Amino acid sequence: MLAGLGVTIRAMFQPVVTSQYPRQLLAISPRFRGHIKLLADADNPDKNGCIACGICVRNCPSGSIKDIEGEKREGEKRKTATSYRLDFTTCSQCGICVETCPSNAIDFSADYNPAGFKREDFHYDLVKEFEKRKKSS
Amino acid sequence: MVEKIKAELGAALGGVEIRETEYRERGYHLSCEASPGELLKAARFFDECGFYLAAIVCVDYREYLELVYIFANHSALCKTKVTLKLDPAKPAAPTLSAIFDCAYWHEREIREFYGVLFDGHPNLTYLFLHEGIDAYPLRKEQVLLADEDKKALGAFRPEEGEDTFFVNLGPQHPSTHGVLRVVLKMDGEYIQSAEPVLGYLHRMHEKMAENRSYLQFLPNPSRMDYLGAMSFNLGHVTAVERLCGIAVPDRANCVRVIATELNRISSHLLWLGAYLADLGALTPFLFVFDDREQINDVLEAVTGSRLTYCYFRFGGLYNDVDEAFIAGTKAFIERMRGRFGLYEKLVGGNVIFINRTRGIGVIEKERARKYAVSGPVLRGAGIAMDMRKAEPCAAYSEMDFDIPVGTRGDALDMYRVRVREMGTALDIIEQALARLPDGPVMAEKVPKKLKPPKGDLYHTVETPRGELGIYIVSDESDRPYRMKWRVPSFSNLMIFPELARGNLLADAVAILGSLDLVIPEIDR
Amino acid sequence: MEKIISIMGWETVKTIVGLVGVLIFVVFNALILTWAERKVAGHMQRRIGPKEVGPFGLIQPIADAIKLLGKEILTPREVDRPLYWLAPVLIFVPVLVSFVVIPFDASLQVRDMNAGILVILAFSSLSVLSILMAGWGSNNKYALIGAIRSVAQNIAYEIPLLLALLPVIMMANSFSLKAIVEAQQGLWFVVCQPIAFFIYFIAAVAETNRTPFDLPEAESELVAGYHTEYSGMRFALFFLAEYTNIFIVSAIAVTFFLGGYQGPFLPGIVWFLLKSYCLVFVIIWLRWTYPRVRFDQLLNLSWKALIPLAFINLLVTGGLLKL
Repeated sequence: MLAGLGVTIRAMFQPVVTSQYPRQLLAISPRFRGHIKLLADADNPDKNGCIACGICVRNCPSGSIKDIEGEKREGEKRKTATSYRLDFTTCSQCGICVETCPSNAIDFSADYNPAGFKREDFHYDLVKEFEKRKKSS
Repeated sequence: MVEKIKAELGAALGGVEIRETEYRERGYHLSCEASPGELLKAARFFDECGFYLAAIVCVDYREYLELVYIFANHSALCKTKVTLKLDPAKPAAPTLSAIFDCAYWHEREIREFYGVLFDGHPNLTYLFLHEGIDAYPLRKEQVLLADEDKKALGAFRPEEGEDTFFVNLGPQHPSTHGVLRVVLKMDGEYIQSAEPVLGYLHRMHEKMAENRSYLQFLPNPSRMDYLGAMSFNLGHVTAVERLCGIAVPDRANCVRVIATELNRISSHLLWLGAYLADLGALTPFLFVFDDREQINDVLEAVTGSRLTYCYFRFGGLYNDVDEAFIAGTKAFIERMRGRFGLYEKLVGGNVIFINRTRGIGVIEKERARKYAVSGPVLRGAGIAMDMRKAEPCAAYSEMDFDIPVGTRGDALDMYRVRVREMGTALDIIEQALARLPDGPVMAEKVPKKLKPPKGDLYHTVETPRGELGIYIVSDESDRPYRMKWRVPSFSNLMIFPELARGNLLADAVAILGSLDLVIPEIDR
Repeated sequence: MEKIISIMGWETVKTIVGLVGVLIFVVFNALILTWAERKVAGHMQRRIGPKEVGPFGLIQPIADAIKLLGKEILTPREVDRPLYWLAPVLIFVPVLVSFVVIPFDASLQVRDMNAGILVILAFSSLSVLSILMAGWGSNNKYALIGAIRSVAQNIAYEIPLLLALLPVIMMANSFSLKAIVEAQQGLWFVVCQPIAFFIYFIAAVAETNRTPFDLPEAESELVAGYHTEYSGMRFALFFLAEYTNIFIVSAIAVTFFLGGYQGPFLPGIVWFLLKSYCLVFVIIWLRWTYPRVRFDQLLNLSWKALIPLAFINLLVTGGLLKL
């Protein structure tokens, strides 16, 4: 009985182990699985690496990836995506799209706290996100 | 053992052909096809031989329905599959619930998903599904429910008696950890009967499995048991690997063991905290979360997730572990070894805790067998049965560890078994770390589209809650024809009504907690 | 002012002023205690506890109180209205009355009655009535079970509580709290009555429905026990009463066993509050360490252990005093 009291009183004078979240951020581990993002093409960092093949669409267990469209620009062998819609509300971050992508154009982002007021807030167009990131960097 | 059972079963059934099967491929040693009468004879035979009924599976082969009964033994590895063919137009079978208590719920499940009528079953009412289902969901062709079927299925209505009343323990109740509802018929503070009502988290994972490829089903198992996600992930990949005959590199096997055992500790820790919270002590809950965070940090660095892991792949791992993982795991082992003393002082040595749990919810060995309970509950009852030893997958066969067992089978024993299991898990991790070989973590030449050869497999792994059995029927396509998940909490919950009867309300909470249930796993 | 005093008499005015003071103290005490409980719990669990509102989160209880006040006062449809409404008000009466006779300092006491302790014990028995009213009136099974548990528990633990206080009364030769404090000038009664103190303390924790004896509101079994159906300010009143009760039992313990307001150097009131809050801390400490006992174990502890022990203690004390 008394041993238990000893444990709690000792714990009381030990430093706290929690971190005060909004004020104090923890490092996100490099393999953290946020929602997926498009990576830049290996040869040309200005455009995204997605070739709009649709393998991820077919492999997604939850049908979260939709409306992939691409165009073939002049002087290039393969298509480049112009639209890539991810419905994050049904995504379970399994990573099958990341693994099956033939051009290694998909990776997990470190976006750990997406928040919104309606479902549509989580319908991302990854091509647009990619362009946004490119501009900000 | 197998030879002996084959001969004796053959004699008991008289003239039924009993085939020996390749255990490595099928997961069972013997199989036979029985008629309803022979099935009952076989069940009685296995009951007398001290076997338990591991699972009942129904498979719809379109031309006929097949009931698959898996009988297994706690002390020796000898599994038998008994099948019974049914007419799909009017499926009916004899009930085994009088012989094996665990059949009671399995048969209810099959009744509601396939429409099989079990003659003599005392209560064939809805188990998971409630109002609003028009067809039997797992039939391959649409079979509508007749009105009398609906009426029969919806027959469960709690009735208050003269001196009794009903108390709902759940579904929104703090002590059921998830959404389990138990209807308690109370006489004052004493429980006259308890009836669990399931299905609040039912998502029909088994149907989902039939509609997606093996690869696409990967994220699902970890959503069934979110606390032992790694074990479920392991069960799924090892089952499919066994079916397809994929060999996994040594390094991957070792990492699988480490990750699964880390997850087991984290699951047991959470159980410890939640159980104490059930009993009214809230501080251990926060202490265990402190420890759990360390595990989560270590696992997050390699798997990318903290709870619903999806780390193993057919033929290996999602990605390799690094030095930081090994260092982190070693640091955790060091830390955890020092924490057991603290828990012993705070919980195990506390007179109030001991008085609350000693002699409560006693499970005798015989009852444990009849209800086919497994995992720490079974070991708490004194039966040293662990799938990691009995049917080792991954690198478990190379690990040296002992199986902690209880003596009285009460809630206190369950506590002690789980705490000691955390210790053995640490031992296993240390051994696996010591012999972690270099090399690839992914088998070469794993086809992109897995198309296992035709056949079935009953594969088991030990999850933190007990025996997980996966029964897969493959028809050579890239999707399982049938995938049945025999989940440990389902069997463990079945014994609850009997344990609760005649006890106080407070004891019911203590017993329910000692079974360590994860409701989404039961509901699937 | 003098006119009022002359009409009503000095004693009446003193009582009224005292009551107002007590009311302020009750609210203030509850605010401090809710803060302290959360802070202590936090640190025992290696968290920080409230920290956002005000320095160290000190304003947090006030923010909570405002939130509770601002809530809609809900009355569920099927409740027994008079009982349901009256219960939270009634639970407050004994709490206030108890404060009247507690001596905070040599001169800081609303009324010194020669039956002081009897007043407290008599009125504290009333609080179980309002818990029963709340449980029955709520028309809810959890609330009813909680209330019934509470009644059994309070009856069982009032006896050892009283039996533990009796030896002290015998030694001080008075029921007046002030006289009892004065009798401890040389030696605190806890030294010569350690068993009585021990029994009193256990019984007091049980009387206030605190862990490990918090069965009437066992949240893992009974949702929230007798106040399941209460929300907003009505719930706050139960809460207020619970924390005030914790202080009262500690204050009585200090008065009876720990020398009351007596102590060197510091003023009496400081000593009194210091000792009381130390005991309150121990009660909070217990809550964040122990699990809950079971109902039958709770009653067994009282009837089979505490009451016989208290009787023996009483007899021995009586015999020794006679000698």
